[in-house]
Amino acid sequence: MSAWGALAGGAVGTIVLTSGLRVAQEVGWTRMDIPLLLGTVFTDRRGRASVMGYVMHFANGLLFALCYYLIFRAVGHAGWLFGAVLGLVHAALAGGALMTVLLPAIHPRMGTPWSDAEETPLLESPGFLLMNYGSRTVIFTVAGHIAYGAIVGGFAAHLG
Amino acid sequence: MVRVDGYAPLREYAAVGDGRTVALIARDGSVDWLCLPNVDSPSVFARLLDAENGGSFQLGPTAPYQAERAYQQGSNVLETTFTTADGRVRVTDAMTLTDTARIAPMRELVRKVEALAGTLTLQWRFEPRLDYARSDARIDRRADRWFAAAGADAIALGVFGAPEGTVRGGAVEGELYLSQGESALLSLAGASREPAVLPGRDDSERRLERTMRFWPAWASRSQYDGPWGDAVTRSALALKLLTYAPSGAIVAAPTTSLPEWIGGGRNWDYRYTWLRDASWTLDAMLRLGFHDEAEAFFWWLMHASRLTQPRLQILYRIDGSVHTDEQELDHFEGYRGSAPVRIGNGARDQVQLDLYGAVMEAIWLYAREVGRLDGDTGKEVARIADYVVEHWRDRDNGIWEVRGDRADYIQSKALCWVALDRACMLAERGLIPNGEPLWRTTADEVRAFVDDEGWDRELRSYVRAPGIRELDASLLTLAILGFHDPRSERIRGTVEAIERQLREGPYVYRYRGDDGLPGEEGAFLTCSFWLVDAYARAGRLDDAHALMEELLGLANDVGLYAEEIDPRTGEFLGNFPQGLTHLALINAAVSIADAEAEARVRAA
Repeated sequence: MSAWGALAGGAVGTIVLTSGLRVAQEVGWTRMDIPLLLGTVFTDRRGRASVMGYVMHFANGLLFALCYYLIFRAVGHAGWLFGAVLGLVHAALAGGALMTVLLPAIHPRMGTPWSDAEETPLLESPGFLLMNYGSRTVIFTVAGHIAYGAIVGGFAAHLG
Repeated sequence: MVRVDGYAPLREYAAVGDGRTVALIARDGSVDWLCLPNVDSPSVFARLLDAENGGSFQLGPTAPYQAERAYQQGSNVLETTFTTADGRVRVTDAMTLTDTARIAPMRELVRKVEALAGTLTLQWRFEPRLDYARSDARIDRRADRWFAAAGADAIALGVFGAPEGTVRGGAVEGELYLSQGESALLSLAGASREPAVLPGRDDSERRLERTMRFWPAWASRSQYDGPWGDAVTRSALALKLLTYAPSGAIVAAPTTSLPEWIGGGRNWDYRYTWLRDASWTLDAMLRLGFHDEAEAFFWWLMHASRLTQPRLQILYRIDGSVHTDEQELDHFEGYRGSAPVRIGNGARDQVQLDLYGAVMEAIWLYAREVGRLDGDTGKEVARIADYVVEHWRDRDNGIWEVRGDRADYIQSKALCWVALDRACMLAERGLIPNGEPLWRTTADEVRAFVDDEGWDRELRSYVRAPGIRELDASLLTLAILGFHDPRSERIRGTVEAIERQLREGPYVYRYRGDDGLPGEEGAFLTCSFWLVDAYARAGRLDDAHALMEELLGLANDVGLYAEEIDPRTGEFLGNFPQGLTHLALINAAVSIADAEAEARVRAA
């Protein structure tokens, strides 16, 4: 089991996750755009926001890979299957709390159910399980995170 | 005010809201429509759609009275003054804005009662009917509040400065005894999927004060200084009420199924965002200088439509989702028996090509204003233009959402020309990828089709469709959106033909022919304001002024309009207040102001 392996898995897993969601977006299955959502925390320029968001999402991917690694160490086991299970938990955290509660709470340009006439937010909030961005969003989010977790688990177990 | 079978005339309603939902309050003090937590959520009070079982929140003197009311200056806070033989009392109604200082209810309707003279007794009756009156929620007394809950939703009524009231037959009733200088406050707090927040009187008073300060400050940001400033400001405030702040979406109206003819079946749910109407709202907001609202809507527009781009759906839910399935609420009898009551809107699946012109016009105005479009957005806009190139020849349901066979509606084709013309202008400025040669060639083709197939020599006017040689007031938009010079022979001829055949006094009908639906409808107020706009652009300023004055006289006492009006009785018809009417008013006033300024320059 290796931290470097987990980090490498985090890098590859994040690319797979982000690319998968991007494909789903391009073919019209979801309006979910993680780089845009993250980047617009800092700027309302769409282009700049996407670039910053990609960097942030990649960094988050590495950070979460380290968290996975700590869990693998604590449990004493790593592997693609266990990683996939953690990915499922990760998806629940992202869809149930991180993106739906925490992000709108700190995002200066995102509406919340409490936004009133005094505010003119530029982005709609994701809603529970990100359903505001299309009913199929949850499927791709869960699938993407399971893939991410499996890759991190597999890399952590077999690399280094 | 006289209720007919329990129903107040629609022109007797005023609206208060908070950027998330809207309450309609009749002149007699009854809140007859309120959906919580959002404007498209199920109703809590729907007396508007079923006088007996819909639910309401009534508040008024027990003795015979006269009622006068007005919005506070530049505000969406309503003041109703009841005068009886014994004294005078003022009721201030507002949906309060969220307090940032302390935790506040998710939604709150505050009704403050102040005795101005003498001593009065008022009666209040709180009769919640949650979930369109489909829930059998009981009223409980907890934590000094009256509670009603259904599923994940709850409302709590606090009564301050008056006896708490008693439960009687599914409602709570109470009386207020107030002498000059005394006041009471009723606070209705709403919660959805969270614990109800129970404000004290001081909290509610503070939020009310804050709300009263906010609205005039917002209205003062208008840069409009032309004629009929009060009416324009009121219309801007009405549009702001229709803006759903959490997403920036703008609903067509906050109500459902208010009939286009009493007793008729043309009853639709307008609590959705029609891209066409909302895009014109964006125009109006920009013309008045409300840039933040325009920008928020633009972001919503580009984000919400991503699932379907480059094809645009006619209407979207306020949260950006596309599910608007239509169903009928058989347990509601409908406003004055006008069944069915519908929730959801089946027009979603229609093809309406004109909306591409409206949307591209909005994008053009927005981009011109801010001077830029982001790269991705530019590509999306270019794809929409390409879609128009591919589909402008398709038959559609037209701007009026005709539920019969599709046709080559001339207004739709002309708006396709607008879409391509604006795409060319965006490309010329380097704001979107350059597809200009194809877009310009196709725009010329579209224009030739409209001029060849849509022009009737005998009528000397454009007509609804090549196979429907009838007039259509929507053709006035050809003058407004610059399909031809508004002073050109063809546009002048069309305007004159519409005057002859569709105008009766200040009223303009949409069309006279069959639209695939049974029953009659009133005169469409938006068309009257479009006619004013067309007059102004054609330089017929006297005609524009005269008609505008007449139309302003048709507003209700607080300056609001419904969708339609019955020319025989002056009664409002259709959903209320109607965004399209108010934005057409704004655009007509601004067009007159612009034309007058231009005339002054020419004279100088």
